[in-house]
Amino acid sequence: MTEALMIKQLNYRRNQKQLLTDVNLTLPQGQIVGLLGANGAGKTTLMRLIAGSAVNFRGSIQVGDAGDAVARKAQVSFSGMIDGFNPNWRVGQVAETLAELLADFRGEDFYQLCDLLGLDQKQRIKRLSKGNQRKLRLAVTLSRRAQLYLLDEPFDGIDVMTRKAMLNSILKWAPELATLVISDHHVTDIEQLLDQVVVIKARTIAAQAQADDIRAQGQSVEQYFESFFGGDLDD
Amino acid sequence: MEFDDKVPIYYQIEQYIDRQIIVGDLAPGDQIPAVRQLALTLTVNVNTIQRALAELIRQGILVSQRGKGNFVTTDTAVLAAMKKRVINAELAETYEHLMGLGMTPAEMLAALEAYIQERKDRDAHD
Repeated sequence: MTEALMIKQLNYRRNQKQLLTDVNLTLPQGQIVGLLGANGAGKTTLMRLIAGSAVNFRGSIQVGDAGDAVARKAQVSFSGMIDGFNPNWRVGQVAETLAELLADFRGEDFYQLCDLLGLDQKQRIKRLSKGNQRKLRLAVTLSRRAQLYLLDEPFDGIDVMTRKAMLNSILKWAPELATLVISDHHVTDIEQLLDQVVVIKARTIAAQAQADDIRAQGQSVEQYFESFFGGDLDD
Repeated sequence: MEFDDKVPIYYQIEQYIDRQIIVGDLAPGDQIPAVRQLALTLTVNVNTIQRALAELIRQGILVSQRGKGNFVTTDTAVLAAMKKRVINAELAETYEHLMGLGMTPAEMLAALEAYIQERKDRDAHD
């Protein structure tokens, strides 16, 4: 069986600074994975590398059969992809542009997701509240048909009701065999959705475990995560 | 549904379906919702639902029919045994707690009977 993601001996430096060290990680198809770590631990950097947005690393990153950055870009839907978009654009324009740029972008899915999440097509990006910007990122990311979805802190600054709608969107729109990686520093946002958790600490993978195996030991995923940091979440 | 974050979720879903059968929300022979629908209703992932259903099928509480879906068994003996197991688990917990208070079985019985009578009277007044 093809793995959704296989990373071997990944090392990444930028501006004379070591950002990731000896990362080894394998994720199977069809799972929801929590990428947990403190701010600055390297979660976003790792996602950018997997998505092909950052290059010049040492080691190997394989998504399905795709090895090089260009091939990976076609298989990975990363929530950071609209970060460079013109803030004057309207929500609808974002979708039209992506539909032209990406063969796997489904406009129909995007409009349905916007309805479900309560996003107005006519709003300009810069006028969206922080919560609505998060929703837009999610809607765009889930509207692609990819093997691997990378959602970077999708619930940051999101209220409880919106979170519920977002969780449902994730469950409803992710293709059956796709694997989703969701990064978060508040485990409780996504806890009940996860097959497994990957803990990233001090720029490398500190642990990987099945969520229900952790609970079978009488521990919550949150307690498990906190045990790596001794209550101090600042790296 | 609210989950206990220290108990495996697949196990809590098993218990949830057991309870639906006991209270009659699901009758013998009823089809249970599709995996994806259950995942959305309970906001958990599809693999967790599949693991819970596989466990219930292994226990004979659900029966899988190829291409049709999953159904509650019509074997009433299996369902009666499941109900007894669920009730016993509740009783076991109460029993342990009362033992911990130093009560004898005879005292427990008397206390339970008295409590049931009090509840009956109170509920009658409500």
